[in-house]
Amino acid sequence: MFTRGTLIYIAQRIVLIGFTVLAVSSVVFLGIHRLPGDALFSERVRGQAYEILVHHYGLDKPLYVQYENFVVGVVTRGDLGESLVNRGVKITPLVLRELGTSVEVGGFALIFTIGLGMLLGVFAAIRQNTWLDYVLTTTSVIGYSMPNFVIAAFLILVFGIWLENVTGGEFYYQLGGWKGDIGQLWLPAFALGFPYASIVARLTRASMLEVIRQDYIRTARAKGLTELLITVRHALRNALIPVITILGPLVVGLITGSVVIENFFGIPGLGKEFAQSILNRDYYIVIGVFTMYAALVGAANLLVDLAYVVIDPRIRY
Amino acid sequence: MATAAVAQAQITRLDLPAQASLWSDAWRRLKRNRLALVASIYLVLLVAVALVSIVWTPYRMSAIGVTATYAPPTAAHLLGSDELGRDILSRLMVGAQISLIVGVGTQLLVLAVGVPIGLLAGYYKGPADSIVTFIINVFYGIPDVLVAMIMVFLLGPSLTNIIIAIVVTRWMDMARLVRGQTLSLREREFVEAGRAAGARPFKMLFGHILPNALGPIIVQATFGIPAAILFESFLSFLGVGVQPPTPSWGSMANEGVQAIRYAPHMVIAPSIALSLTLMAFNFLGDGLRDALDPRSRR
Repeated sequence: MFTRGTLIYIAQRIVLIGFTVLAVSSVVFLGIHRLPGDALFSERVRGQAYEILVHHYGLDKPLYVQYENFVVGVVTRGDLGESLVNRGVKITPLVLRELGTSVEVGGFALIFTIGLGMLLGVFAAIRQNTWLDYVLTTTSVIGYSMPNFVIAAFLILVFGIWLENVTGGEFYYQLGGWKGDIGQLWLPAFALGFPYASIVARLTRASMLEVIRQDYIRTARAKGLTELLITVRHALRNALIPVITILGPLVVGLITGSVVIENFFGIPGLGKEFAQSILNRDYYIVIGVFTMYAALVGAANLLVDLAYVVIDPRIRY
Repeated sequence: MATAAVAQAQITRLDLPAQASLWSDAWRRLKRNRLALVASIYLVLLVAVALVSIVWTPYRMSAIGVTATYAPPTAAHLLGSDELGRDILSRLMVGAQISLIVGVGTQLLVLAVGVPIGLLAGYYKGPADSIVTFIINVFYGIPDVLVAMIMVFLLGPSLTNIIIAIVVTRWMDMARLVRGQTLSLREREFVEAGRAAGARPFKMLFGHILPNALGPIIVQATFGIPAAILFESFLSFLGVGVQPPTPSWGSMANEGVQAIRYAPHMVIAPSIALSLTLMAFNFLGDGLRDALDPRSRR
């Protein structure tokens, strides 16, 4: 499946991702150092203690030296520095741990987005212009018109409050309290994925409608294949190609959406850390998390490009 | 000979039925689309509410404790009050201003940036196009809301800066669309005719190509408005949007979430306002697309 050319292409892309990540984090590094406000300064820290701290973080050196130290640290040791607010906390392990949590939620949302989206899209297409089609297409517009925090709020209202009141506290939803990991994950993942599931459904429907009019589908039908086999093996596979094109933006969307959702549900992931550290002016964490995100987006886009090769053998790099 | 030709032309014109222009045709189709029509009516009402709220709201939007805090809806306060006892209806009305300014303002700027870039890249092709395409792809690779958060943070949280941040991270959709349209339009005969007649590039781009790409541009801008409103609500929800006491639907929802168990009306009111508005813009966009490009109708 992967020829030598493809492997070279992958290697090139990885190098490119490395450079993009470095460039992005540099821009943020330089931009953020122009900011007013100082995370180190407070009532308790002044005078000599302040001087010591400033020296510890190397903030007394000229900007280009700081930048050099930062880049050398990232490239040679993968070291993103130390938190300015929670002093002594190394950022790299912190961010990596949070990345795991975020990928868990985001991955669950992604599976859900693609699975549900494609299922609804296929149903709407094969029942075109019936009530089912109308209900599904209207729902999909409603779906991507609702901000994810609105969906999350309604989920909490229903599953967290209403259901608990109705069942007299028998059934309740609580983070970490209901049926283990999947139970924790499914509300955030639904809220995160539903808007994108609607978009996938819409696209799948549109491209299915084009595909099921093609001659090869008629041929398949003439051969006497079952409707299920025609839909899944012949139509859906070809209908998938336009859907894959939005996977890249979709992954970026899920990542940005996760910032909101993680803050909503209090999930200790990258997104929560990002928003928190911006508000705390913990600059090094902002840079660290952002570097992580840039790498994540680059990797996701590369995977999407490789998915093309898997789905459509005509595409080569 | 000449008079005969003119007479012939006049006769031909008289024989034709009244011609429907592209735009009146589109208008007729749009009026037939019930969802789009309902959406337009809602949006007109929303604009009216936003305008009224400039001069009049039931209570001052920042008046603290005009009623009990977290009070549920009553006759005096139709949507209840928030954690400081401020009237939610008044705040929703002012919030409509913010949302509309962000949505429309962003799209105007996106038009101003994206259209010329797209036109130039598509018309001149070559290195200019390669550079623009590369930049567009780079911008598609960055997580937009996160960059905007950092930008708003760097520039300071004001309405103008939020709009700038959204434009910087979301101008590519329009540029890419216009580039694509220009690439296909520049090969058409009327462009060749224009060039043969000696039209200057400026005249070609804005006089001939742009008017023919106007349909998709309008549709794209209509879809861009809800995207920008959504974007702003994310920023406000996370606390880096419009600063208090100015209400934004996103920050109101955020305040509501804190009290979701005891005062659910606080989160429900802005959520519904936000969802309805975004839906209305999306339905209008769908309607416009079907009306302006009948071939894409499914």
